[in-house]
Amino acid sequence: MRGMPKRLLALLLLAALPWLARADEQAFTNRATELKERGAADAATVAKLPENAPVKVLARGGGWTKVEAGGKSGWVRVFHLRFAGSVEASNSSGGGLASLGSALGFGQKNEQARLVTTGIRGLSSEDVKNANPDAAQLARMQSYRADRAAAERFAKEARLVAVRIEVPQDGAKGDAK
Amino acid sequence: MRMRAWLVAGAFGLAAANASAIDFGSIINKAIDTGRQLNEANHEFTQEEEVALGEGLAAGFLGAAPLRKDAELQRYVNRVGKWLAMHSGRPELPWTFGVVDTETVNAFAMPGGTVLITYGLVKRLGSEAELAGALAHEIAHVVKKHQLQAIQSDKSSQAWANLGKGIAGEAIARRGSDPVGLKTWGANAGVELLKNGVFLRPLDRSMEYEADKLGVVIAARSGYDPYGLVGVLEMLAQVKSDGSGLSVLDTHPAPADRLADLEPFMPQVERDVKQPQQVEARFRKVVAP
Repeated sequence: MRGMPKRLLALLLLAALPWLARADEQAFTNRATELKERGAADAATVAKLPENAPVKVLARGGGWTKVEAGGKSGWVRVFHLRFAGSVEASNSSGGGLASLGSALGFGQKNEQARLVTTGIRGLSSEDVKNANPDAAQLARMQSYRADRAAAERFAKEARLVAVRIEVPQDGAKGDAK
Repeated sequence: MRMRAWLVAGAFGLAAANASAIDFGSIINKAIDTGRQLNEANHEFTQEEEVALGEGLAAGFLGAAPLRKDAELQRYVNRVGKWLAMHSGRPELPWTFGVVDTETVNAFAMPGGTVLITYGLVKRLGSEAELAGALAHEIAHVVKKHQLQAIQSDKSSQAWANLGKGIAGEAIARRGSDPVGLKTWGANAGVELLKNGVFLRPLDRSMEYEADKLGVVIAARSGYDPYGLVGVLEMLAQVKSDGSGLSVLDTHPAPADRLADLEPFMPQVERDVKQPQQVEARFRKVVAP
């Protein structure tokens, strides 16, 4: 009798494995690159990674992504990664197995795990085409508009300082400012 | 000179008096002409026309996906958006931002400065710099009039054919200072363009790449970390379309392609950035993780 729950647990674990593999988002290096201690070009190098090295995505910020590779964690330039999430994220089974995972004590530990699409069906083109225009909602939205002064105060609170930057020539042309 | 000014004023007074007598036939003709002109690819929309059209589109959209009932969030997004728009090429537009309550991950720019972003996208963002990156991309579409160009280049649509009727009906009903009912006409046109799906079609890929770059510049000018949009694309590279047809993954080039396009561009913007901010704490106060 005591053996049964263990075998059941093992079975459940087996069933949960594919989900566990997906929970930590997988990415690959798209060129040889360096794993850095911090997200900065001048930070110390933790390890050198070859092209196509699998990494586990832990967090993102600025132009750098926090990853785990070969047992070490550090930061890699976001442009040096190729993400595999779009093929792996599962809509149909994610929810069920996720709850199984947490019932067994495997909480979703990192930020990225929560970013996987939930699979709840959203707005469709047909919904929008068939909708009746809602003038009251439009008016409500316009009542939330911010004026210049409010935007300036808001920017100051977060120490957002405007800088003059021209649009580079090979970029979006003609945005005179 | 003074005499001439009086004469002009007199002529206007006369016209106004005649208008109040209402010549239905001429109003309808003028209205239909207006509809025809607006459909010409080289027609320059006035700002008023553009704003009215965008309001019509937004009203239609909100009929399908209402605003998220969170006034703090709505005001917050409007402040970020307005601050960004003040550093765009068209700061004078009546910029309006709304968070719509749907799980679909996307954002939509309407001509004239109305931008809708879905809660499905907002809740997946990690900082105000990322929100700024997404909004600045939409602001760039408005600045470049991408949606207007797409609407005008759509010759197959029945929308324009129905517009004359809309204007005429409105003109007769109103008799106000807006003799062809422009504002309401624009709204009708917007609704029509939404109904026949013209507005929901993806833009040219070149327009999306252009909006990415200009958006990065607008966010950087506003003091945000220019990598905000890059972070959004990184996140999008890890989600899957919900199959709705309206997901950002259905309406935009693949995130990996957009990232590859931005890579050589970023150093040119980074050069000019002074003290770029991520602003995570304020974002987290409004958008719970």
